[in-house]
Amino acid sequence: MSYRVGVDIGGSFTDFAFLDEKTGEIRSLKVFSRPDDPGAEVTRGIARAGELYGITPAEISYFTHGTTVGINTVIQRKGLKLALFATEGFRDVLELERLKIPDMYNLLSKRPEPLIPRDMVWGIPGRLNAQGTETAPLDEAALRSAARAARDAGAEGVVIGFLHAWRNPAHEDTAARIVAEETGLPVFPSSGTWPIIREYERTITAVIGAYVQPRVAHYLTRLQAALKAVGVTPEPRLTKSNGGLMTAEEGKSRCVDMILSGTASGVIGAAYVAGMCGIGNCLSLDIGGTSADVAVITDGKPAFGTGEQIGDFRIFIPSVSVSSIGEGGGSIAWVDRQGVLRVGPESAGSTPGPACYGKGGERPTITDAFVTLGLVGHSGLGYDTVTVDADRARAAIAPLADAIGQGVEETAEAIIEIAVSSMFAGVSGLISRFGIDPRDYSMLAFGGAGPMMACFLARELHMREVVVPTTPGVLSALGGLIADMKNDFVQTIYADLEPSLLPDLSRRFAGMETQALHWLHDEQGHKGTHILQYSAEMRYRGQSFEIETPVTPDMLSGDGAALAAAFHAEHARLYGHADDTAAIQIVALRLVVSGPTGKPVLPDLPETDAIAEPIRHVPIRIDGAERDIGLYRRADLVPGHRFDGPAVVLQDDSTTVVPPGFHVRVDRFANLRITEGA
Amino acid sequence: MSGTSPARLQVLANFCAAAAESMGYTLMRTAHSTFVKETEDFSCQVLSAEGLTVASPVTMGATWYTGLDYSRVIKRFDYRDGDICVVSDPYSGFVATHAPDLHMWRPVFHEGRLICFVGNHIHNTDVGGAVPASLSRTLTEVHQEGLRIPPMRLMRDGRLNEDLMALIETNVRLPEQNHGDLLAQIACTEVGVRKMQEIIARFGPDGFRQGLDGLLDYAEAQSRAIIRDLPDGEHFFADYADEDQTGGYPVRICVTLRIKGDEMEVDYTGSDPQLVSSLNMPTGGYPRHSLAMVGVVYALACLDPTVMLNFGLVRPVRAILPEGSVVNPVKPAAVGMRSLLSNLAQTAVIGAFARIVPDRMPASPGNGLSILNVRTSTRDGRPVMASIGPVGGGAGGGPGADGAEGCGANMSFLKNTPVEINEAEVPIDILRYGLVTDSGGPGRYRGGSALEMEFRLHAPQSMVTARNRDRSRFAAWGLAGGKAGAHSTFTRNPDGPSPEELGSIDIVPCEPGDVIRLRGPGAGGYGDPLERPLDEVLADIRRGFVTAEHARRHYGVALDAAGAVDTAATAGAQAEIRRTRAAETGYCGNRIAYETVWTTARYDALTRILAALPVNWRYFIKHAIFREIGETPAPDPSDAGDVAAAFARLRLRYPDLPEVVL
Repeated sequence: MSYRVGVDIGGSFTDFAFLDEKTGEIRSLKVFSRPDDPGAEVTRGIARAGELYGITPAEISYFTHGTTVGINTVIQRKGLKLALFATEGFRDVLELERLKIPDMYNLLSKRPEPLIPRDMVWGIPGRLNAQGTETAPLDEAALRSAARAARDAGAEGVVIGFLHAWRNPAHEDTAARIVAEETGLPVFPSSGTWPIIREYERTITAVIGAYVQPRVAHYLTRLQAALKAVGVTPEPRLTKSNGGLMTAEEGKSRCVDMILSGTASGVIGAAYVAGMCGIGNCLSLDIGGTSADVAVITDGKPAFGTGEQIGDFRIFIPSVSVSSIGEGGGSIAWVDRQGVLRVGPESAGSTPGPACYGKGGERPTITDAFVTLGLVGHSGLGYDTVTVDADRARAAIAPLADAIGQGVEETAEAIIEIAVSSMFAGVSGLISRFGIDPRDYSMLAFGGAGPMMACFLARELHMREVVVPTTPGVLSALGGLIADMKNDFVQTIYADLEPSLLPDLSRRFAGMETQALHWLHDEQGHKGTHILQYSAEMRYRGQSFEIETPVTPDMLSGDGAALAAAFHAEHARLYGHADDTAAIQIVALRLVVSGPTGKPVLPDLPETDAIAEPIRHVPIRIDGAERDIGLYRRADLVPGHRFDGPAVVLQDDSTTVVPPGFHVRVDRFANLRITEGA
Repeated sequence: MSGTSPARLQVLANFCAAAAESMGYTLMRTAHSTFVKETEDFSCQVLSAEGLTVASPVTMGATWYTGLDYSRVIKRFDYRDGDICVVSDPYSGFVATHAPDLHMWRPVFHEGRLICFVGNHIHNTDVGGAVPASLSRTLTEVHQEGLRIPPMRLMRDGRLNEDLMALIETNVRLPEQNHGDLLAQIACTEVGVRKMQEIIARFGPDGFRQGLDGLLDYAEAQSRAIIRDLPDGEHFFADYADEDQTGGYPVRICVTLRIKGDEMEVDYTGSDPQLVSSLNMPTGGYPRHSLAMVGVVYALACLDPTVMLNFGLVRPVRAILPEGSVVNPVKPAAVGMRSLLSNLAQTAVIGAFARIVPDRMPASPGNGLSILNVRTSTRDGRPVMASIGPVGGGAGGGPGADGAEGCGANMSFLKNTPVEINEAEVPIDILRYGLVTDSGGPGRYRGGSALEMEFRLHAPQSMVTARNRDRSRFAAWGLAGGKAGAHSTFTRNPDGPSPEELGSIDIVPCEPGDVIRLRGPGAGGYGDPLERPLDEVLADIRRGFVTAEHARRHYGVALDAAGAVDTAATAGAQAEIRRTRAAETGYCGNRIAYETVWTTARYDALTRILAALPVNWRYFIKHAIFREIGETPAPDPSDAGDVAAAFARLRLRYPDLPEVVL
């Protein structure tokens, strides 16, 4: 036997997906994460796989994993103590960001404290102009003295972000060599991280990469050792923010590429499950304790963005785009001074958690509202780590009910309605930003609270259907399993599109191609085929934002008219208009290389004609009426089963709430397919 | 709370916010001009049937239109489904505030009944007129400021008014851009109508209308609760712009807040007469005009950050805006650059609130934020014109934290242009872009530092403009014992043999090799600087926000030769400061000196004289009286006899002037 293993290491739980390479069958399990002892959770999970499924380490032929260690390091501000060497006269690049203040109606709002305080920033004499030509030589003496000062001030690493390094990395490279020589510290030049034009965006990307580096590298080393110790021999791979993979070994130096590791692979997993169901367009909805995260998948492809939020900051490496849209199951309901019921933004999170958990939480949360209505709490939650106390939930909501002069149940329903409307507002903004129509989209719900709220939200958005995968918790692990080896390359051009420019563009694409294939086949050891996707970031001269336009190398022959036409078409597609007469600027060339890995073929199960039987009926309240509804156990449901809402489906890691008027069908892959109407 | 139950009001609020955000994204996504996409100079609204703003996006767009009231133009028309109306004339109904802003509104019907409206506006880059981009401080009449569209229909029954389109395209410099932006505005209203119809269907037309009233009532109740908590009384504050024309006299905007129970009057009486430049704020004297209310909304949101941002907030508030003054100019006064005085009006209102609750308001933001524009040419002679970014100052300090650095408070919505993009686009060398040391006003909580940009030009006949230059004479004020921020400076060749201070000049012709340096104003500090903890002062020194010399002078912190704290010297320096200092006003030396000449009594006399004159005489007589008074301090602060005497002399010279009894 031979198994491919995907693992997702989250803050509380670690999920495993085991794919039998012969049968295509997937098995999953969950263990507690061990942030205190990275690697231990993997050892434990592999041991559990032996106990539960008889899988031995020697049978593991392939190992990928995603982890939140990168993003958590930034959120908790537990990264490396860094110094920044910037161009003299421009040392405030991190203080100023792009100037705009987060909350523009608040006179007291401020930008977050920079990751590198100003006393750890040195301005270094030496200057290139926008053409990359040196106008003042790098001052080596000043550099050496700054390097010593930084080391003496306790710097554990140095980021170098000089102006116009996007055009010419020479000063940064020289400085990197000298600083390393002078101090022995790790050095991170911005042009070596992601060489885009715009000094803040390039610098913060390098800073975040450097900031997480030691923790991520330490963690990966521990993981490699743990795997080796239990006898897992294949080189472990790591999921990247771009939804692809790299080797764990490379991850130790390219930390900047893995900050959104776990999040991105969840979306890849969602896209895969949706694709399996024949769904090209979907929104993935992942609701946890404190937030709801949404990603847009169109024609089977996740939307990508640069500028994804990492804690207080944004990072400008191409990443699967995931937006946080509001409340999670732990968001707290309250009544304000004007006697109006409100929900969030404060959250009880997982500690102390909702009142019904009985872990010290006293204030009513969204989850408590569901429990009060009888929709949640008929079994343990989170793999039985939590038992639900409905009386505590009601007791927490009672004071709110008194304050607004309604019954406890009515108040609980109102809390849910407010929470759903707030998520609606978030998703609504997102779909307007992407310019899509939710009527053409399905919703794939996962996370502890996703299946609990998905139908309510889909109803407001008039979405096609809701899909609840078999094991919602394991989507990220699955995403890692099916991800391809993948890397991004960029060269910033910043020139007007003219025929004379084309030969240079061709040369650059050829160079990037060589680099890309070297990365894939030589560095990553990929044996199979490869796919190259070319694109150009272009804009009309005078615009301040560029559009990534897919191109092909043959567009670079001739007079460039084909390249221009591709841009006009893309502009028209996105914005509804194009200007065939306007001058076009090419800001950058991009190349994505991917090496496809084998995809699981999930078992296609025979459909039954039998009627799904609820385990029992329970009294609940939904949509303003009280009734008895069927309570189903997910494990009992097999392909072909059908039943109508209102109903509740229980499983180890989540509860699916099916409102009245919705119909459930279990598809060939055992996913719940929930549609409104008959 | 009328209509909708307290349990469902937040639901409606969320739906309306979603509709407004969707409208905003549609506008940003489909508009052509960079004003919309980069500067985000636009707004969109869900409006009640009367035309009051109920919801608007909070994360994008300009911050001035929370309380926008379309009722004065809305009631001029009858409506059918598929109608759209527009206005850009700042004097027709006082919705638009200068000609480049094209406002648009559209009715939302449900089963044949008009239920509400949706609206939006964008700042068009050019609407014709005397100068490209239509805006210049030097323009003297609104007729020079481009095409003005009175309230009229752009669409009737879904059919576009081609005559109006042709009129617009004939009168502007970039017709394609205006056309594209207009289509984006129409698309925005389409999204708005669709979203609102869904919401109306959900709540039912009556439930929905009651709900909208409920949302306005809710914000009003929040506002009343905030005001009720403020002690009754009258509180005066004035702030000054450096000059009313190049080389002219200061402009004063003053505000008297009168709190009574849960209502408030914002009296702008005493503000200067309208100007013959384009800085005037067109409000029509409407007591809740959005320009007069911006500072109020900022203050209310500061006192209670949970307020719902809609027209209801300003219902308990009434502004008094004297006709013929800068806050209510009479046609045909030019208004294109109303932003400078509008920003000053905001700090004046914030200052008046700070008189009431100094423990809950911040000191003055830097304000005086300039947009730098460069006109030059490349080495081979190709002309280049570009905006290279906003340069201003930080947010005011306090009450619990230092002010934001470089920009903030009422200037929070602006984005900069990266140095690398500027240098790639514009043939200039940027020499420095960053924060100015020692510029933040000293205080327990330091004012935000100023921003500075310094660059060299290479081509002959180059031109630098700095719109909205201010605060080079009157610095941002400190609060609660905090000191004023540093002045703004504008200098040619600062490190050359003969640096030239450009003051408040906003257009500078440059020669090859000239270096221009613009330093914005630092923000005011909050609280006694001597109470700033030592480690915070040391961190400021270490981080280069303040020098050791500045720290010794204002914070009394003395370092020894090795850079460590000299405890004895520090105790001595602080004691010395305590012993010798005068009561801290928070004002800069220039303002203190100015107010010994232009005392409250003299200003009161001047205000009474000017108010009694025909509008066309006021600016002239203001200047004449200022010349007569000169730099002479008032012999007695309560005596304004000199002003009366000066006016009497002027009456002899200009017999048309009426007699004014003081």
